[in-house]
Amino acid sequence: MLIKVGSMIAALLAWLGLSFLFPETVLPGPWQTIQVLADNFANGDILSHLAATLGRVLGGLVLAMAVGIPVGVLMGVNRLAEKTLDVWVMVALTVPSLCYAIFAFIWIGLNETAAIVAIGLTSAPSIAINLWEGVKNIDTRLFQMARVFNASRWVIIRRVLFPQVLPYIMASLRFGLGIVWKITVLVELLGRPDGVGFELFYWYQLGNMQQVLAWTLLFTLVMLFIELVILQNLERRMFAWRPEVRI
Amino acid sequence: MDNGIRIQGLTKSFPAPRKGGAEHRVLNGLDLTIGDNEFVCVLGPSGCGKSTLLNTLSGLDRDYQGEIRFGARPMTRAGKPPVRMGYLFQDPRLLPWLSAERNVDFALENSNVPRHRWAEIKDHYFQLTGLQAFRGHHPHELSGGMAQRLALVRALAVEPDVLFMDEPFSGLDELTARRLRVDLLDIWRRTGKTIVFITHNSYEATFLADRVVVLSQGRIRREIPVTVPRPRDYDDPALFAVSKEVSATFIAAAEEAERARAQS
Ligand SMILES: Nc1ncnc2c1ncn2[C@@H]1O[C@H](COP(=O)(O)OP(=O)(O)OP(=O)(O)O)[C@@H](O)[C@H]1O
Ligand SMILES: [Mg+2]
Repeated sequence: MLIKVGSMIAALLAWLGLSFLFPETVLPGPWQTIQVLADNFANGDILSHLAATLGRVLGGLVLAMAVGIPVGVLMGVNRLAEKTLDVWVMVALTVPSLCYAIFAFIWIGLNETAAIVAIGLTSAPSIAINLWEGVKNIDTRLFQMARVFNASRWVIIRRVLFPQVLPYIMASLRFGLGIVWKITVLVELLGRPDGVGFELFYWYQLGNMQQVLAWTLLFTLVMLFIELVILQNLERRMFAWRPEVRI
Repeated sequence: MDNGIRIQGLTKSFPAPRKGGAEHRVLNGLDLTIGDNEFVCVLGPSGCGKSTLLNTLSGLDRDYQGEIRFGARPMTRAGKPPVRMGYLFQDPRLLPWLSAERNVDFALENSNVPRHRWAEIKDHYFQLTGLQAFRGHHPHELSGGMAQRLALVRALAVEPDVLFMDEPFSGLDELTARRLRVDLLDIWRRTGKTIVFITHNSYEATFLADRVVVLSQGRIRREIPVTVPRPRDYDDPALFAVSKEVSATFIAAAEEAERARAQS
């Protein structure tokens, strides 16, 4: 924790130092940025933009997990599925996220559904790959143990398979979130009339670097909070049984 | 109920590791009859198919030729095995996310043991194996030998009629192993089980078994009855004599297997 705080302070100082070297229109300092952010809070609709974006992040993440987890688990446990799907997962991973967004907006329309579909489908392949790798590491000897002790198929899935897959699901949730939010901003600038991505693009077009930085800062802080405070704590609590790995 | 085991013409092959290669025949027409409540020890060189034998007997692996019967009830190709069994694997196979006690509960939950007896059973076996103070620990907090003892608790707690044990005491210090051997014999005498016990230790086999069988090249090479009366004394010279015969047979079988392998 101390190290994290220290490195954040160092980054702030570096930002401050750099901002003296450049004109304000290129790199505003931290203080100005925070002031702009505070002004936005005072008299803007910052929360509604943030809510719109977080809603899309959540929707996209749910869709990505709903598609990615079953595909990944299936590929991990079934040879045939692995052989049929691995090329397609690679293809899906290679297609640029911009293309998903364009396809979605053209085929589905300039609406919320299209945005969430674009976000979800872009992130699904990475999640599938994550789980696929994870499921391959599952200890199948434990299934034999469960069978010897008369566990039914359902008990085995719930109490032996699921706990082994869960760490990979949690990891892919964190990792998926990282991808999803980046795509969300892109999708917003392309085809939505609100949200953080829309605001970023708007201020970029006006050449207002202070606002661009303010929005970037806001969004980064929110995502860091979700990642570091919520998800990490959740994970720590869930996997308390695991031996601590110290390097 | 008769919980003896009759094995006839048991043949088990693993598919060739490479395409076009010969399949790997591990068990080759193995015949063995184990009486109800008999304690049989199986000895054999490493890789001769001892664990494979237990996997087929326990119903984990049903892809074999031949016949396995428990009393009059045959092992079928699918479904539950016809007896209540416990299996102590060569490795502990504990669920790492559950505490020691919950690992035992996992087995109990799927057994026929009524819930009101769990506490008493667990107390008894945790005490016996010296794990009483570690019931709340997770497997990664246990030493290798402790994990193996926990697996023993689990296998015994479900009160099986047939118990398979794959080198259960090999990772333990001699003092603990000796105590557990005596305890195992005690449990066996009190509860009546058919036990198939695999070991590399010919003295251990002799001390425990009604009969020691030597497995090699996919078949039972020799059966050596141990007639020393029970309860046995671990330092009884009569046991030494039988044990000597067992290890001589074992070494002969291993050398023969080596020669056969060199020829092919
Ligand atoms: N799942 C498997 N696939 C292919 N070959 C296997 C498999 N399991 C075992 N074998 C082979 O079968 C043979 C017997 O293995 P097994 O584990 O039964 O030996 P073992 O007698 O228990 O040896 P050890 O005393 O070392 O435990 C070995 O040659 C092994 O390579
Ligand atoms: Mg073995």
